[in-house]
Amino acid sequence: MTIRQRLLAILITGIGGTAAAAASFAMAVYDAANPEGVTVVAASEPVDTGRWIVTVREARAGPIPPTGIEPPEPKTFVMVEFDADNRSAETNNVLTRLLAIDPPVPNLPDPIVYLARDGWVAGGINPGMPERMIAAWEWPPALPPPRTLRLLIGSQIYKRRDNLYGASGWFDLDPVAAVELSVSPAAAEATQ
Amino acid sequence: MIGSIKGPAAVLLAAAMLYGMQRTTPLYSDITSPVPVTGRQGERVDTSAFAIGVANVHLAREVTASSFGRDRTYTTSGVWVIIEAAAAAKQESLSLTSAKWLGPNGVRHALSQRLSSMPGMPGTERLEPGIPRPMLMAFEVPESQLSGATLLIARSAVTPLAEEAWIKITDVRAQNIRSTVKLGRGNRSQPWTLEAQ
Repeated sequence: MTIRQRLLAILITGIGGTAAAAASFAMAVYDAANPEGVTVVAASEPVDTGRWIVTVREARAGPIPPTGIEPPEPKTFVMVEFDADNRSAETNNVLTRLLAIDPPVPNLPDPIVYLARDGWVAGGINPGMPERMIAAWEWPPALPPPRTLRLLIGSQIYKRRDNLYGASGWFDLDPVAAVELSVSPAAAEATQ
Repeated sequence: MIGSIKGPAAVLLAAAMLYGMQRTTPLYSDITSPVPVTGRQGERVDTSAFAIGVANVHLAREVTASSFGRDRTYTTSGVWVIIEAAAAAKQESLSLTSAKWLGPNGVRHALSQRLSSMPGMPGTERLEPGIPRPMLMAFEVPESQLSGATLLIARSAVTPLAEEAWIKITDVRAQNIRSTVKLGRGNRSQPWTLEAQ
């Protein structure tokens, strides 16, 4: 191999490598600048979030939390009824961050999740035992209760080996779907 | 001729070896998982830190328990599994806080958190060396996960390389599911009362 051929080979690999790096960087920048909108699903449509299959049913607002016991000082609760099916191999809590109100409401505490069938605070949900649950947000008194609610449904991904320890686990990923619900105030009074 | 094959053959062999090593590396969770000590329902299982024996397993559709002076009914979408056991520490005082119901399909069901404040539940009491204490556990599991299950008991959920008791549950039959099990408060030596209906 002559020196000329060697120089040519180095030049070609250099140009190729630089072009590949530039293309990859440009694609990353383009993706970050043009995020894909989340798909909007209808109420009662199951959403596969990786670890969970979530079906958001309905939303309502009212003064009585799912326990059925009205608090001494009047409060407004915004409640979202949903089904959750644990698809992993272990019992897990439905993460309160699985459902997020979009756009975020300032000073809104995390919701408390109740079991719909007996009004108790939901503990861990077992695989193979899908449950209907109610997430209840205590609405800030300064704000009027919403007429419509847009919820983002978060997702998790299973990694057999994570990047730090090589341990398997579930990791948060971007929201997979959004659901738009109308909040019925009358239904809350009627059913409870 | 042979010389020209040697190079590529060595590269292929190295690639195959690396691929095999990559595929068979044990997971971090396997390397640091607890060490199982196996046993069966009705016999004493000895780990280095504690001993435990599982006596009775009750199945029920509903559990009634008194909480803050009122009787409350706890329903489930599966079956309630109420386990009566006894445990003792060996060398030092400790609490047993982790109990899991490993179903025949490999799913690990955690303790039901809805009865976790009942006296005798894991974590409510510290075990002293040499003094056996009764222990109560409650799980909610699907009906298909009843027979062929194993009860896993350890000091805590994350204790790398500590010993964990794996107790094969033998006396579980679907026709023994009661409609209600009533749990009440007992005395110091037997912290709960159990009535099957």
